[in-house]
Amino acid sequence: MNRRKTIIATSIVLVIISAGIYFYYGVIFKEARNIASETPDFRITAKKLIEDYTADPKKADSLYLNKTIEITGKATKETDSAIVLENTVFCLFKEKLNTKMMDKKTTIKGKCIGYDELFLEVKIDQCSVK
Amino acid sequence: MKKSYIIFLALLLIIAANTQGTAQKLITKTGNIKFQASMPSYEEVAAENKSVSAVLDQTTGDFASLVLIKGFRFKVALMEEHFNENYMESEKFPKATFKGKIEDFDSSKITSSPKNFTLKGDLTIHGKTRPVSVIVKISKVSNGLNAAGAFEAKPEDFDIEIPSLVRKKIADKIKINYNFLLIK
Repeated sequence: MNRRKTIIATSIVLVIISAGIYFYYGVIFKEARNIASETPDFRITAKKLIEDYTADPKKADSLYLNKTIEITGKATKETDSAIVLENTVFCLFKEKLNTKMMDKKTTIKGKCIGYDELFLEVKIDQCSVK
Repeated sequence: MKKSYIIFLALLLIIAANTQGTAQKLITKTGNIKFQASMPSYEEVAAENKSVSAVLDQTTGDFASLVLIKGFRFKVALMEEHFNENYMESEKFPKATFKGKIEDFDSSKITSSPKNFTLKGDLTIHGKTRPVSVIVKISKVSNGLNAAGAFEAKPEDFDIEIPSLVRKKIADKIKINYNFLLIK
């Protein structure tokens, strides 16, 4: 009888400790999102994305903002850290780029951070080439 | 025949004038903004945004900048979530903007060593606009200008409420550093 009590007590303590560890590392100090390993919420073309944003920025924000999306389009500009698709979707990369994408159709995955009214572009960050 | 020649000449002039006009504007789409709101002996509260847009008109000194709030990155995911959801409400106010003018701006006087200018204008954060005046250091770089500086902002000035529970952990004045490499 006594032995059973100790077993129950230890298991309760163990559960509490593991829950604590989970809460500490899994919630409080959880690493930032890793966009490259997330499955995209949307797979769309660059043209459709900019169309949605020019038609109704608020509605488009509610759809795409902060979501991981995969965008397909032709690369129209390329710098060492960014690729612009169809002149309207600005994709920022974390690492320096050394791929040659110019004028080629590509698919890029990243997090949509919103619409830039200064340059009339949709901005995507933490990008990776599919 | 003569008429078409004149039209052609006029068109050429218009094109020339247009390219001249756009050449006066310096832009960046990958400007950098960092902010620090840490208190001593508490966790670091800091974030960085590397995708800030800015335009500077070299002839007039007009300056405009736009930063997307979701582009700020923190080391800790929970902090980023709180920043977006509780403080900045980035679903409702997805961007912060600045529109203003650099006083006594003269691009011919700018050299490779940084020179101080006063930048005056309206800063909009969290849907609230306030006039600000900051010092900006401008220096010449190949193909453009570099504009950098730092200023402080108070959350309450922009209607950002910080609950008393975490008030001690967040600085009263938030230090903001910016660096824009503006090119043609």
